[in-house]
Amino acid sequence: MAWRLYSLEPLRWEALAGLGEDPPNLQAPGGSYPFHPLEEPWEAKGAPPVPWPEPLYFVDGRERAEALISDGRRLVLLGCVAAGAVAFAGGGMRLLQPRVRRVGVGLREPLGLGELVYEPLPLEGGGEPLSPTALQEGLAKARALLEEDLAKGLEGGLLIVDGPVRLKRQGPVLGYIKTHWARYLPMDKETLLYALKPGERTPIFRVRRGGQELASWYLRLPLPPEGVRPPESGLLRVETPLSPEAKGLADLSLSLFPALASHPVKDPRAPQNLLPVGSLERELSRRMGSRDLVGRILARYLGGG
Amino acid sequence: MMGGPENGQRIGVVLGRREATPLEFWVGVEGEGLLRLDDLVVVESYHPKVGKVRYFGMVDHVAKAHEGESYDTDTFLAVEGKIPVSLAYVAHVSVTRIVPEEFFPPDPGSAVYLAQGEDLELALYYEAMKNQRGSTKLPAGFLKNGEVAYLNLEFLNGVKGGHVNISGISGVAAKTSYATFLLKSLLESGVLEDAHQARVLLFNVKGEDLLFLDKPNLRLSQEAKRDYEKLGLDPGPFKSVAFLAPPKKGKEGILPDVETRLEGVKAYYWDLVQFAQKGLLPFLFADRGGMSNLGYLIVHVTEKLRRLAEGQKGPHLLVSDWPGGELPEEVAFDDLGRVRLKSFADLVSYLEYKLLGPETGEGEGDKAWVARQARGTLEAFVRRLRSSVENLGHLIRGDRQGNPPDPLAGGHQVHVVDLAKLSPQGQMFVVGSLLSDLFAKKERGQYRGRVFVVLDELNKYAPRDEESPIKDVLLDIAERGRSLGVILIGAQQTASEVERRVVGNAAIRVVGRLDAAEAERPEYRYLPTSFRQRALILPQGMVILHQPEIPVPLLVRFPFPAWATKREEVLEDNSAEALRREFF
Repeated sequence: MAWRLYSLEPLRWEALAGLGEDPPNLQAPGGSYPFHPLEEPWEAKGAPPVPWPEPLYFVDGRERAEALISDGRRLVLLGCVAAGAVAFAGGGMRLLQPRVRRVGVGLREPLGLGELVYEPLPLEGGGEPLSPTALQEGLAKARALLEEDLAKGLEGGLLIVDGPVRLKRQGPVLGYIKTHWARYLPMDKETLLYALKPGERTPIFRVRRGGQELASWYLRLPLPPEGVRPPESGLLRVETPLSPEAKGLADLSLSLFPALASHPVKDPRAPQNLLPVGSLERELSRRMGSRDLVGRILARYLGGG
Repeated sequence: MMGGPENGQRIGVVLGRREATPLEFWVGVEGEGLLRLDDLVVVESYHPKVGKVRYFGMVDHVAKAHEGESYDTDTFLAVEGKIPVSLAYVAHVSVTRIVPEEFFPPDPGSAVYLAQGEDLELALYYEAMKNQRGSTKLPAGFLKNGEVAYLNLEFLNGVKGGHVNISGISGVAAKTSYATFLLKSLLESGVLEDAHQARVLLFNVKGEDLLFLDKPNLRLSQEAKRDYEKLGLDPGPFKSVAFLAPPKKGKEGILPDVETRLEGVKAYYWDLVQFAQKGLLPFLFADRGGMSNLGYLIVHVTEKLRRLAEGQKGPHLLVSDWPGGELPEEVAFDDLGRVRLKSFADLVSYLEYKLLGPETGEGEGDKAWVARQARGTLEAFVRRLRSSVENLGHLIRGDRQGNPPDPLAGGHQVHVVDLAKLSPQGQMFVVGSLLSDLFAKKERGQYRGRVFVVLDELNKYAPRDEESPIKDVLLDIAERGRSLGVILIGAQQTASEVERRVVGNAAIRVVGRLDAAEAERPEYRYLPTSFRQRALILPQGMVILHQPEIPVPLLVRFPFPAWATKREEVLEDNSAEALRREFF
């Protein structure tokens, strides 16, 4: 069975399968979550600055779809996933050794193409033919696994992850969500979000997700005064597994996140994309290798698409 | 990885992000490695068809930068501990040598080692500095790492090349100091085989710096003494030096015109017969460019004078065809009725008579002398001659036997000829006369040993744009001197103002501190950019040395002079003998 290159731009699903990308599911206000505040009254909260705990870990991952290949019966997505961590200790940020893996979503055995080796990543269910969306989700999962694996090796300190808290860990974890598709607050409580000043947060409220109990709160990052922005800009939702330390972490988050907010001149995702995470992402994509070079190698071994 | 150079320390790897070529490449310095400008490195590379190739090079640029950061202000974030950064420490290496000579680029990622010991010798071609009789490594100072820097003598003594050119602004002890240091090394290191036969003619052009070459320097520290020992040189003054200075102006007596050095200086001057016999007249006319039609007349009169002086024994010049009535008062007749010219002024008057005729009346000059030149030309010639009487009357005399400097005669090895107090015309005359005389003697094979001539302010004697008889002599020395054993160690503030052929013939170039505008001129193109920049900030006692075999210049430190360079530095000799000499 010979693999043939199908496309080097696997993200153009429409052109391939006539499928549109699934739009994210917007949940109705109030949704299925009963709102349960953990702090009273419902008003903006500040906190005095505190020193950062050490070590402080930031973990993030990246995924990159590199090619769609086919042997006539199956579609396989070749991609690259990377995860890395930045540790704050002794007053400086240090990059820890990142991990990079190449995976073939839907492959059953490793595929070596020159110096690139794609490890098989079988899909659950294995329903064929696979939709490109499922392949893409498989890649995302590979990335999540890699991140989790990496986070397990980080001992002590506080771990901050980009996105919701999914992994299990000894010790405190903070997850932060930059874009807000889901609504966690009832309409009447949402007004507080727009009243938050930079460096302030909402009281903590409880979130249940997939059998996990979490404490969450919103905080506003500082934004430079220029420009006209929507009211939700600079808003970050932070969550942590529900525990007695949640309030302390919420107060700490006010010393942490605003200080690490990025600047719109340098990062289009400012201010929510935190500075160390931005650096980490750049480093990870660098470690994945040049996109062009990978494309050329694939084309050489698999023929034209 | 292949085993690295045995005694070198691994310092980094050849970078792949920047082009690596057989002539230059970049090195990423790893860990706590230290790589500085002027450090010498060695890299090994391998190709299946060629085998192992070793690249030797010198670091001429080093830089540090935060990598991967797109904004300069990211550095602030890094300092505040908000983002991780990666520090890149890179160095640019100019390749000096490839062994074997296979010019293919080194592989990125190849290990880079500091060149030490034998590698250092290979990097700087020291092991190639030898001839059938032995080493030709002439100590030329110290490298940055404290090792001795060498010049290949064969590029200095005329075998493969000759001449040294030194550029640098005044006052930072580069030109004269380095020239004298080089002489010391030439005469005393034992590398120059026939050093005992070598003679040196040094022109002292300003102050009286060079009039104490034979005195130990009071300020010579223990450290400097060790420097000399490390170079294999005696930390003492020059041993065999003759000092010559022009006489004081004025009629009475002949005393050397010097102020700080009171003993051991002899006055030099020419007598009229020597002046005529040696044909020195052209050297009175330094600016030949401005009077091209005089050129023929000068040659003609010079020849006439030479013939006139034939068979005469000075100091005065006897002429037989000067009518009594025209004579200036001090001119006297001799026994045979001939007129005795007793001063340069007399000679000028005589020439005026011969060229323009008697002062009174409509007389004409002697047809044999005027050579059909227009009267205007003759008058211009005489006018210029008249104006030189004031400048040269004390140097060209008819009252006593001449004593011109002759570096090839006498027992002294080094001859210092002082020009500092002479007028520009006088300086031109002395330099021109001495050099042409010296060159003529060497051409005739009258002296076997090598002669080193040290001349500062080359821009004055061999200017780029003008013609002069002295420039002709210098060009002759520059172009033919090395085969005759006459080596010019020339110096100037600005090489751009010196005749290109004079500078161009120097095998060895030395640069001290330069003026910023000067450093950008094409004359210094042989220096890589980083060296041109550094030439602006060179401290005292440092020069950049360029020699033909080594493709990169070397930054060299040379030791503090072991000889006094002014009166205050003279180590007083208070022995009874010295005191007796001084008072009696």
